[in-house]
Amino acid sequence: MAIRKQLYTWELFGDNTDGRLATSQGHYPPAGTENSILYGDYGNVQPAQQTGLVKEDDFLVIEEIGCTPGISPYGFMVDGAGNLVKWIPNMFVNIVIDTTNYYQDPQNVWSSGVSGFASPYPRQTADEPYYELWPPIYVLPDQTIDFRYTMFNDLQLSAENDEWVNIPDSTVLAAVYVGYTHYDGTDAMMARKLMNLGIPVTVSTVESYRRLLLKSKGLEIETFEFYLETMKNERERRKKERKNQGIATQQDYDGDL
Amino acid sequence: MSIRRQCYEWRNVAESKNFQITPPLVAIDDFNDVILNRYPISALSYKIGTASEKLFWKVVPIAPNQVVDIFNGDIGNNLDIPGQLKAYQFVVLDGIAVYPPQFNAQIIVNTTRYFQDPDGVPSRDGGISGYTVPFPNGTRTPNTALPRFIPNIGQSQGGLLNTLADGLQPPIIIRPGDRWAVEVKNNGSEEFPTAPSLIKRMTDIGVARCFIKYLLIDGADSIVAQRLIEAGWPLTVENLWRYKQDLIKTHLYAGMAELPESIKNARRKV
Repeated sequence: MAIRKQLYTWELFGDNTDGRLATSQGHYPPAGTENSILYGDYGNVQPAQQTGLVKEDDFLVIEEIGCTPGISPYGFMVDGAGNLVKWIPNMFVNIVIDTTNYYQDPQNVWSSGVSGFASPYPRQTADEPYYELWPPIYVLPDQTIDFRYTMFNDLQLSAENDEWVNIPDSTVLAAVYVGYTHYDGTDAMMARKLMNLGIPVTVSTVESYRRLLLKSKGLEIETFEFYLETMKNERERRKKERKNQGIATQQDYDGDL
Repeated sequence: MSIRRQCYEWRNVAESKNFQITPPLVAIDDFNDVILNRYPISALSYKIGTASEKLFWKVVPIAPNQVVDIFNGDIGNNLDIPGQLKAYQFVVLDGIAVYPPQFNAQIIVNTTRYFQDPDGVPSRDGGISGYTVPFPNGTRTPNTALPRFIPNIGQSQGGLLNTLADGLQPPIIIRPGDRWAVEVKNNGSEEFPTAPSLIKRMTDIGVARCFIKYLLIDGADSIVAQRLIEAGWPLTVENLWRYKQDLIKTHLYAGMAELPESIKNARRKV
């Protein structure tokens, strides 16, 4: 039972080769293909390559997403020893829940997602991201969640140009960042209840709901009376409000006559 | 049924036809200027300046006063069809950004252009400029190459900050069935990019781009959106939530309301 602020990052490092197809097979994702940061074949995915399944007592709220910025492959940098120390992958990242793609283009077709220019990661002090994932995305129990990136600059074909001799395993070639809040146990139940009531699921609303439950102390006579009193007060307040607003009906004035 | 924060980004990048063959190092230097429904694949060009030169990277120059539709302008990444909303969709367009600074962006809904000059004529400059809404926002731009693109305003390091960082307020509401588009115009006096010697090794500084962000409201939420508009409420995420809360609350209270005396005292029937 907890509310935890979580983050997950994915990085693609070099493999201590020059990166050509002949010397490095299967380490770099082909350009233009979509791959998962959770179970894909490239980069530091989870060891078991497990799909992101939200358990029945979990509730996720995804609030942030970002990836490596840049477009032109000519933004690369090589150090004096011929090591590639910076690469521009020209990447986009997308969120997939079950079979639904979050990002779609204006013709309502599956798109590549949000770019690193719109939502950069890592973020520099000069960056003022213009894109914010608002409203956040709720992922419900028993749904699958995935984050898929697409890189449009072909690293391995670029390696054929002899601009570098080595891609060290210390060079981060591409990265994706995901920030979310994880509600589990009874907190997940409360989050689900709030969602059903149309109330935004935030840490403060869940904690507030928990306080209300604790105050109610379960379903006892006192609890019933508490709710009854609350609802009665609310009805009175609404009635008074309608009178003040001049929209009260005859029924609202019945008790006064 | 959902409220989704969407974005779309256009760039003037072409794709080498070399990518259509295997191995890719044997074809001629020919490019597709327009790529449909995805972004172009690129790579470092091969042996530039030699007899075996093969190009894998190119940006499409934009001439002075040239106007390009970012959805269907036949340059860079495009869509099959123009942007048009379905019967159960609303779009709240609240953000636009463009690069380079001398480019302008205009939003078109049906036959109306959003940005106008004071005399009521659609903006002759072509809309809002990259000086006002740069993309990306605030990022330092390398000022070693093509210094004429770096204006003497904004951050000391050469980056600009989006004057409308909170978005267009009020936002533009595009209704079901409406057609919409965004155009960019090179409002400078020179072609962009302008340095032929650098064009084969062009970095991000030479890539024109336009970015829009919007809320896509569809399904049952679009009905709620319609009700909010009819009531004169701003179409925001918070107001959509609040309306739905009120709907649920009304139903809860309706179930708890006291019954009229005639019904309460009526004889129960099975």
